[in-house]
Amino acid sequence: MPTALMLAESEIDEAALNTRQAALVVHDDLAARNAALQPGDMIRVRVRLYNPDTGESSIEAVALTYHNRMRVLDALNAASTSSLDIAYRWLCGSKMCGTCAVRMNGREVLACWEAVEPDMLIEPLRNLPVLRDLVVDRTPFDIKVAAFEPWLERSTPYTGFPETLTHQQMRHASAALECIGCMACYSACPVVGLGGITAFAGPAPLVQLAQTALDPRQRSDKVLRSLEASNIFDCVSCYKCEEVCPAHIRIVTDVIEPLKAKAAALSPRLARHPLTFGAIVAARGRIEPALLVLRLKGWRALARLGRVLTLIRRRKIRPSRTMLALASMLLGRKPGP
Amino acid sequence: MTLQFAYFPGCSAKTTCSELNQAMHRIAPELGLLLHEIDTPVCTGSREIRSVDPLGFLVANARILAVAETAALPLMTVCNTCTLNLIDTQARLTGDSDTRGEVNVRLASEGLVYRGPVEIRHFLWVLLEDIGPVALRKMIKRPMRGLSVAAFYGCHITRPPSRYGYVDSRNNRSLEQLAEVLGCRPIDYSGRTECCGFHTAAANEKVAIKLTGQHVADARENGASLMLTPCPLCHTVLDTFQRDMERDLNRRLDMPILHLAQIVGLALGVKAADLGLNQHVIPSNGIIETLNGSI
Repeated sequence: MPTALMLAESEIDEAALNTRQAALVVHDDLAARNAALQPGDMIRVRVRLYNPDTGESSIEAVALTYHNRMRVLDALNAASTSSLDIAYRWLCGSKMCGTCAVRMNGREVLACWEAVEPDMLIEPLRNLPVLRDLVVDRTPFDIKVAAFEPWLERSTPYTGFPETLTHQQMRHASAALECIGCMACYSACPVVGLGGITAFAGPAPLVQLAQTALDPRQRSDKVLRSLEASNIFDCVSCYKCEEVCPAHIRIVTDVIEPLKAKAAALSPRLARHPLTFGAIVAARGRIEPALLVLRLKGWRALARLGRVLTLIRRRKIRPSRTMLALASMLLGRKPGP
Repeated sequence: MTLQFAYFPGCSAKTTCSELNQAMHRIAPELGLLLHEIDTPVCTGSREIRSVDPLGFLVANARILAVAETAALPLMTVCNTCTLNLIDTQARLTGDSDTRGEVNVRLASEGLVYRGPVEIRHFLWVLLEDIGPVALRKMIKRPMRGLSVAAFYGCHITRPPSRYGYVDSRNNRSLEQLAEVLGCRPIDYSGRTECCGFHTAAANEKVAIKLTGQHVADARENGASLMLTPCPLCHTVLDTFQRDMERDLNRRLDMPILHLAQIVGLALGVKAADLGLNQHVIPSNGIIETLNGSI
């Protein structure tokens, strides 16, 4: 049974501390999370194994003896030297190289930075092809990033020297530079996994893109090309990527939203949805959902006529209100007093 | 004892989910809440304005906080996305005095000033922390026995970790706790803290339908008689797109989706019609029959 695990106090910002839910904050470092176990306790480790030669997948279990400050990586090392033959990757063992990310009990973690739990199911990351056991193929990520041409190019050469770049200008790009490329976010993203119905690039490639696209020196035509290819507006803003990022990058706030703002500035067509939303709110004060859909889809909005009629019958849509909103939007009027 | 709040329903509860606002006003007196609704039409910017007009986003949210501040009241919300937008604005303006200055210049024309001390309280937190489970249990007139509830949190009341403190958002069990207080049986299923996809739905509803269909189906498989959500945006996807999910999955789901205020209202003995249950696409008749049968 998972206990309520919370961030260290230092990671909670001041304003959140003022709100009452922050009263729940407790320490959550490796030692605190290990406190549930005592040296000598037995832990159960189950690993999902996959053999590419036979195409067979199985879950193998092993019991291990807990020792102080035991990490998932220690458990994998111990399991593979005792009875299990497991393929897994790791290099630095200290949260730098980004090679050891796995899913532990359904959550993306760095094996080298995560405390063991009494009963663990360890699986490979999702949304990438599995090569063997816990080793995934990063090629889909590499292809997406390469297509972004992630190097800086100016449209016109800079004449003065040294070039001044302010902290404010570089704020978002430098947040993205914290990325260790572990793919935890790419595995956690629910949209990447939807496959055919969206070509959303996913959080990890967008973080790579942000390193150059949010740098004021980058050529804007290249940024626009990359943003068009990324389908960034299919991001659902669920914050699953932020939740699992071991580098604590605020991926939605510091990467995806500034990239969306960039897209809106470079190409209103690309950002039609948020700009239309903004225009309706500017005219009406609040959003009128039926009008938003009508403006975005035009008469195609009526393709699902059955649904539209049901929503009218259930008073979810009021045609008179929608038309009034449309009129006031077209006239560009603010709402009356 | 009466608890007073400035109350911000948000766009959804004023338009496509007006039954939520209706239910909230109906049950407030029963719960000992005195709500002062902020009734000027104003939007917290959802995800759209938030991403493409960062300053406009902060001004819109600071305006709402400033109105509550003028009344010297905590601010109650009923929408997850509004809640996070307001919390994020407060955090940003607390840490960045330059931006706070810019925002206040824009607010000055309306005679408002943002200082920042307003407490932001989602209705779920009001129920569990301000009223509290003990007092709430005493108010119940119709225990909800016989109902299995699948809690659907939505994202913006449990993530990001920098706001809510969960290393693993699945550790949030507040809705299950509330369901138990009301006499229901909470069920476990994989969709609890997953995303409904609302924020792309206006432009690309396929994402929302695909994402959410699997969660409703999973709730159904685990024996839920209803799904409960604290967010009208999740409700919109779960309820109004459910027939599309059924087509996509090629199976019936027929899962009633209840707003927090509606399930509390039923437990307080309020009539279903007064809570706007008849405004949902998926009928809730089965729930009402179960409740009537259990008395």
